[in-house]
Amino acid sequence: MNDPQNATREVLWNIHHAWIMYALLVPTMAVCAWGFYRRIQLWRKGRAEVRFDRPAERVKLVLKYAVLQLRTWRRSYPGVFHAMIFWGFVTLFIATVVVLIDYDFGIPIMRGRFYLYFQSLFVDILGAAAIVGTLMAAFRRIVLRPKYLVYNTESKIILLAILAMLVTGFLIEGWRIAATDDPWGAWSPVGKVVANVSKPLMSHEALLISHRVGWWTHLALVFAFIAWAPFSKMAHVLNSSLNVYTGRLEPVGASLKKLDFEKDEKLGVSALADFTWKDLLDFDACTECGRCTAVCPANRVGKILSPRDIILDLQHRMRAPDADFAASYIGSTEALSPEAMWECTTCAACMQACPVLIEQMPKIVDTRRFLVMEDAEFPETMQQALNSLETRGHPMRGTSFNRVDWTQGLKISTMAEAKDAEVLLWVGCGGALVERNQNVVRSLAQLLEKAGVSFAILGREEKCTGDPARRIGNEFLFETLAQDNIATLDRYGVKKIVTSCPHCFNTLGNEYPQWGGKYEVYHHSEFLAKLVADGKLSGDMPSSQKVTFHDPCYLGRHNGIYDAPRQLVQIATGAAPIEMEQNRSNGFCCGGGGGMSFIDEPPNQRVNQERARQALETDADVVAVGCPFCMTMLEDGINARKGDRDVKVMDIAELLWQSVEEKTSGATS
Amino acid sequence: MSEVVCTLWGRAGLDRAAQGVLGAGRRLADSTGAALRAIIVGTADDALASGAQAVADRVVVATGPGLEDYNPESYLAALSDLCKAASATVVLLGNDTYAQEIAARLAHRLGGSAAGDAVAVHAEGGKVRVTRGVYGGKATAVIELEKSPAVVWVRARAIEPADAAGRGAGEVERVTPELPATGVKVLERQEESKGGARLEDAQVIVSGGRGLGGPEPFTELQKLADVMHAQMAASRAACDAGWVPASWQVGQTGKKVAPQLYLAIAISGASQHIMGIADSKVICAINRDADAPIFKHCTFGLVEDYQKVIGPLTERLRSAK
Amino acid sequence: MKIAVCLKQILDPEVPARDFKVDAAKREAEQGGANLVTNIFCENALETALQIRDAAGSGEIVALSVGPAGAEDVLRKALALRADQAVLVVNDADTNPDPLFVAKTLAAAIKKIGGVDVVMVGREAGDWGAGQTGGLLAEELAIPCISFAEGFEPGATPGTIKVKRQTDAGFEVIEAPTPLVLTITNHDKNVPRIPKTRDVMQSYRKPLEKWTLSDLGVDGSTSHAYSQVAELFIPKKETKCEFIEGDTVEAKIDALAKRIGDILRAM
Repeated sequence: MNDPQNATREVLWNIHHAWIMYALLVPTMAVCAWGFYRRIQLWRKGRAEVRFDRPAERVKLVLKYAVLQLRTWRRSYPGVFHAMIFWGFVTLFIATVVVLIDYDFGIPIMRGRFYLYFQSLFVDILGAAAIVGTLMAAFRRIVLRPKYLVYNTESKIILLAILAMLVTGFLIEGWRIAATDDPWGAWSPVGKVVANVSKPLMSHEALLISHRVGWWTHLALVFAFIAWAPFSKMAHVLNSSLNVYTGRLEPVGASLKKLDFEKDEKLGVSALADFTWKDLLDFDACTECGRCTAVCPANRVGKILSPRDIILDLQHRMRAPDADFAASYIGSTEALSPEAMWECTTCAACMQACPVLIEQMPKIVDTRRFLVMEDAEFPETMQQALNSLETRGHPMRGTSFNRVDWTQGLKISTMAEAKDAEVLLWVGCGGALVERNQNVVRSLAQLLEKAGVSFAILGREEKCTGDPARRIGNEFLFETLAQDNIATLDRYGVKKIVTSCPHCFNTLGNEYPQWGGKYEVYHHSEFLAKLVADGKLSGDMPSSQKVTFHDPCYLGRHNGIYDAPRQLVQIATGAAPIEMEQNRSNGFCCGGGGGMSFIDEPPNQRVNQERARQALETDADVVAVGCPFCMTMLEDGINARKGDRDVKVMDIAELLWQSVEEKTSGATS
Repeated sequence: MSEVVCTLWGRAGLDRAAQGVLGAGRRLADSTGAALRAIIVGTADDALASGAQAVADRVVVATGPGLEDYNPESYLAALSDLCKAASATVVLLGNDTYAQEIAARLAHRLGGSAAGDAVAVHAEGGKVRVTRGVYGGKATAVIELEKSPAVVWVRARAIEPADAAGRGAGEVERVTPELPATGVKVLERQEESKGGARLEDAQVIVSGGRGLGGPEPFTELQKLADVMHAQMAASRAACDAGWVPASWQVGQTGKKVAPQLYLAIAISGASQHIMGIADSKVICAINRDADAPIFKHCTFGLVEDYQKVIGPLTERLRSAK
Repeated sequence: MKIAVCLKQILDPEVPARDFKVDAAKREAEQGGANLVTNIFCENALETALQIRDAAGSGEIVALSVGPAGAEDVLRKALALRADQAVLVVNDADTNPDPLFVAKTLAAAIKKIGGVDVVMVGREAGDWGAGQTGGLLAEELAIPCISFAEGFEPGATPGTIKVKRQTDAGFEVIEAPTPLVLTITNHDKNVPRIPKTRDVMQSYRKPLEKWTLSDLGVDGSTSHAYSQVAELFIPKKETKCEFIEGDTVEAKIDALAKRIGDILRAM
């Protein structure tokens, strides 16, 4: 009898009229299915978008982000409790399936050691973990109350319902063990505790009745929960999984959509109907976790931009019973106001933070497109930058430099002069036309020369890649610039491009292919790191300088390059950079992306000053950057905050050149 | 005998501009052997009448209904008649808005040619040549006027007045021209400081930066600006610090200015700031740091602590007026 | 109300000074890599006209330019901003005709357009800056001209308008009968708007009339009968900062005051 081989329990013990359960299951599943069907119907109102291609890669996404939930772990406290609840419920679901197979299909698997180790012990422990997780969640919601959460009744009800399901589950398990004197009861430790507590207090009769009532209560709770799920944020179990499956496979830097100027009736997005079905799914996939807004640099410095509220406000708009898909949402709430849209630096911290791969930033750019191209209403200084872009091919209005001034004193050929050059050095407007950055491109050019790279520049033939135009929302202007540049690049048969501007790097590498411009594009950090690795450059002068490195958003988050610039710092100074409190994929924007370097932010709401604060906190002597816009923004921020300290902002190319030069002069003297 | 005519406004009196116009006229008349006639439109005070008399060979004061205050149609009609009567070969005007408004029309009515904003006027081979800045001051052109008379408005305040040892007393003739009826009526004339003038349009700008260390020194700068008839501006750092309104900010994210003179006080000259001022004709900086990048963009500058400079500079400019 | 706005295409005034070169023989600026743009005061004039049409809820705006075939660009931009009609008088022969020739050509075009109540021109152009087109045009059309105008509103009696214009001392409000010429200056309310992209795309499909000088009966050979450029050169500009020297602070301030005073007087 007590042979573990025979261990099992009686399914539906003490339960009469179990058919009612089966009868209830049908409407429950029907309501649930109907709920999801309604959701799907909403998404189908969106425009077409291809998101079911490349299934193998998509399954990988699901494994990473829906099953392992790698993004959720980026915050440890919610990461832990979410995992406890998630794996608890996954386990309980499997246990239920085991019962189903065993009892309903008559395949005796709920037996013996499997019954003891998994069905009893493991399930009990995971169930207990789910209770702890739920209590942790409740503690956060009720006591810790972080700013980024949404506080509503629904969230509380969900936690209460989960807790009630778990607790009733353990109660009926305990009462069953107590009433049947289950010899295997000890394998269900939580149930056994309930049994041991109940037994002296309750008669056998009371145990039976309590068990029966408890069982039906538990069933009712579970069924009600299942039926209600698609109407609450619990829908995320399916919505978010689907959202992850249909997530973006390209780097963040390639997330903006191409428009069709011939066919599109409306340029940009101002109403729900203008979004694609994937955008609409994004709204529904939101779990209100608030991570996006918590990491948003604009929000952090006190601006009104809140990616979470953009998504949720659109979600509410979409789900409203009388939802008008054709009406403009712009300005309907604070989060959806034009002011908020003009605060985004397109740093993509929100997208990187979202556990379920919602794409907030492209929706902001979509809205900007409407404001710029259909309404022609946007901040005046951005208009001036775009005007300059249109008439002069660069956004640096008022610059007193031309595109080749920085080459003075260096022997640098243009592509027109050196048609056989292997590499094109794409200088960028930020490099050529802003005095401070000219030294960066000079350093880079000298490094390339030293390493014996055959390179040339486009010189006056280079135009802005169009990045600022695109992020500000003038897709038309962007396309014009892209086509012009591609024509120039193709005329010279350019194959390999290196640039010190991550914005150019991103646009050339991730966006031009859509217009037929396909090149091998390198950020100078990668390219220089490779030259060092190949032994063509060496620095490695031990330096007493303490260096920290600021990750440019368009290099890091948009393109996943974090190591190359750090290697260069290591090579140039002999030590790895000191990390700021926010670094790599969690890096904090300089405030200059998305056309924001052409806007004057209110003095008390400067993104660059917050980043400067973080940089200064490392006590570094040099803040290393890898982007001309970061250079400008951080120099400005550091100068405003450094006080009497001597802190410099330098590009990694300048650091490396300094070190290479020192080594050379050290060797010759 | 040919005549050079200087056109002066009675209302304006013998200001620096009037002296400049008379100076230019006197020298031009002398170089071409012409007589100089001053035509004063509107009631002239004694200073103006006698000042003109001291320089010109003949002074005509035109007064009467319709000429008390400026009206483009009346002034134009009167001047046209008076210049015809003078058989003028050259008509000179100042470069105030009224003169600029009617000069070309006057030339048209006289069958002549006009050119303006002149820094120099010469007669050469029977034709008048006018030197003036073009392309926003990036180039200088000499314009030859093909028709006679040459009607030229000059940068009067920049032109040397005539030698004090003038010819003595020219005749003064008072006339009351008959004016055609006009539907153009000045309803309102507000003489006020250009509150609405945009910093972008300012001709002279006094600008302060982070080096001022606080809002207080801007009071001193304001006094200097008042003396210079300048608009106030500031660098981003000064605006950010809340020392002055954000609307004063000049630079990449602020206003882009193109004054004749940009006086940068305690501004280091970050490239974002330079972008806002690169089109200035003359940039002058006062900064105690000789290595401040601003000096790379200056025509002239003073390496000195601004605190020692502003007060005395204001006084000197005031007394020089 | 029918408003004709005259637009001039000029060399981008924001060409960095070090890139600016002149062709002394042709007595013109070299275009180099720079673009041609609409003169800013002309843009202000168009903006003013658009605002007046917006406020009135009706009216017709005719954009008019004289210049080489490439000047079509400025008219396309005007059409993108929803000017109702665009006319280019093509003058390929002379890239810098004198002000009277331009005025005569514009006057002939305006007569041909017909029914124009207000002609708007920019106060001056960012290239040659002669500042004469408005006045000469008024004389050619024998109508009044008010310069440095910010804009206008309907006058007290029909057939008149009330013009607000800037003066050295402040501003004036002038009542004048139409038709007339206004030269428009910039102020904080007539910063040019930017076109909607859709309008930019459509501007290329809108009709644009092209007239030749002979269509208008203008004699092209008279384009320098009024004035011509005898010389054009780039004045030597001090590229290095001249540091004011002096034995004492007082002496330095004296020297500084003199330099500043000279510039102020020269204006």
